Amino acid sequence: MDPFSSPAPSNGSSGPSTEALMDQVKAQLAQAYAEEFLETVRSKCFSKCITKPGTGLSGSESSCISRCVERYIEATRIIGQALFNSPR
Amino acid sequence: MIINMLKTSHQLVHISHQEKQKAMVSEMVGKITNVCWDKCITSTPGSKFSSSESTCLTNCAQRYVDMSVLIMKRFQSMQ
Repeated sequence: MDPFSSPAPSNGSSGPSTEALMDQVKAQLAQAYAEEFLETVRSKCFSKCITKPGTGLSGSESSCISRCVERYIEATRIIGQALFNSPR
Repeated sequence: MIINMLKTSHQLVHISHQEKQKAMVSEMVGKITNVCWDKCITSTPGSKFSSSESTCLTNCAQRYVDMSVLIMKRFQSMQ
């Protein structure tokens, strides 16, 4: 039993509808990007905020990490705008 | 799953091209942010960027693209 078939495929053939497949592809891409983004943030913020690993996260290390995550998200927004909203 | 996708109509291929473009854009923004963060954010992250940090990020992204264009031109002229 094909788990992807829909009652009225748009292309007239039997099997998974193109729309359902594309939704799945988009979801998988979004997932892959989210994972890659998180890995990048972990790496950047660890190197900026945890300079001398202790036996627990200090208050200042925790605040640094929170700010770092916000700044990295903002940096991503700035880069997106620099490339697509105000080309020279 | 992939074999089913290959068997589907040309309409899927057309949609895939758009999705491929979007994916390439996301990839590029991610790569440039990664590189420019290291170049521009040299101190401990604050509660907002200084104007020199945000200017640096903008300049960095645009210069990276300029560099890519130049590299392609040089590379092609050597073919």
